[in-house]
Amino acid sequence: MTVGSQVKSCYASIKGIEATLSTLASQTNEKEAREVFRNAETIIAEIKEDMEKQVIWLSQEEPQYKQ
Amino acid sequence: MQDWVQILIRSVTLLVVLFFFTKWLGSKQLSQLNIFEYITGVVLGGVVAIHISTLDSPIYYALIAMFVWFLIPYSVELISLKSKTFRNFMQGKSTVVIQNGKIMEDNLKKEHYSTDDLLESLRKKDIFKVADVEFALLEPTGELSVLPKKENQPLTAKDVGLKVAPEREPQTVIMDGKVLLEPLANLSLNTNWLETELEKLNVSIENVFLGQVDTHGQLTVDLYDDKIAVPTPSQKPLLLATMKKCQADLEMFALATENEKVKQMYEKNSQNLQKAIENVQPYLK
Repeated sequence: MTVGSQVKSCYASIKGIEATLSTLASQTNEKEAREVFRNAETIIAEIKEDMEKQVIWLSQEEPQYKQ
Repeated sequence: MQDWVQILIRSVTLLVVLFFFTKWLGSKQLSQLNIFEYITGVVLGGVVAIHISTLDSPIYYALIAMFVWFLIPYSVELISLKSKTFRNFMQGKSTVVIQNGKIMEDNLKKEHYSTDDLLESLRKKDIFKVADVEFALLEPTGELSVLPKKENQPLTAKDVGLKVAPEREPQTVIMDGKVLLEPLANLSLNTNWLETELEKLNVSIENVFLGQVDTHGQLTVDLYDDKIAVPTPSQKPLLLATMKKCQADLEMFALATENEKVKQMYEKNSQNLQKAIENVQPYLK
């Protein structure tokens, strides 16, 4: 696996985490728990943005691995 | 009127009266009653028993006696609720038998409570060594309430400084294969949601003996057919594992890259993710 695809899979996982946190936050009835899940979601969203930039940048760096 | 008809009528009437009187006298358990309340109950029962079978005394005698034995304990209870001094007089006060780890011999004597009684009560509370007790109180009902010394108390999450997620009582939403709408509404969920969740578990509602939903919206079910394996909830552990994996990945990327700016970005995000994991972890258990 190239670095590009590794970063890409990590980016995908991060997206999955964000979605799961969002579901948990809407499922729970406990206000405190919702808050915690939402906060974590915001952090993950920031990471996701950085990762997205990185994925784009890497795909330009490694055009030979593009299919 | 024939005798057996009379007995029938008396039995039914007095049974109904007795039922309501005891109901109004409160819902204390037998072990919580003091002697006065206990005797009241016995007398009420006795009056009924006597008058059911003694046919030559008119039934209203029974009603009068029962009414008196209901009214007085009832008013005593009402006044007790309002006045503390009256309550102390009627129900008695609790007596300290162990204070600061020392047995109060005088108080024991006052309550006619022998050392053996004390040891027995302590043993019932799983305490075999008097030295382990900080404070003990003999309640008016004769029960002993014990506060063990701090080091002998069970370990709690607070003691070890562990952060735990708050959790309220779970709601039972399915009973005997039928949906209970009120508990479902308490959780602000609806039947559609329940159907989706059951579909996820791949079970039909008729097969569910009992279904409960916890505070975090997780449905757990018990099936009639015990041979079918219900998948255990895995969403939360999976999420935690994925988060940890991503955090490790980010750290690895930070080590692998030579670009200083990108390295910093990875490190910052890895730290943020670590913080997020720490915050969320208690809620994912």
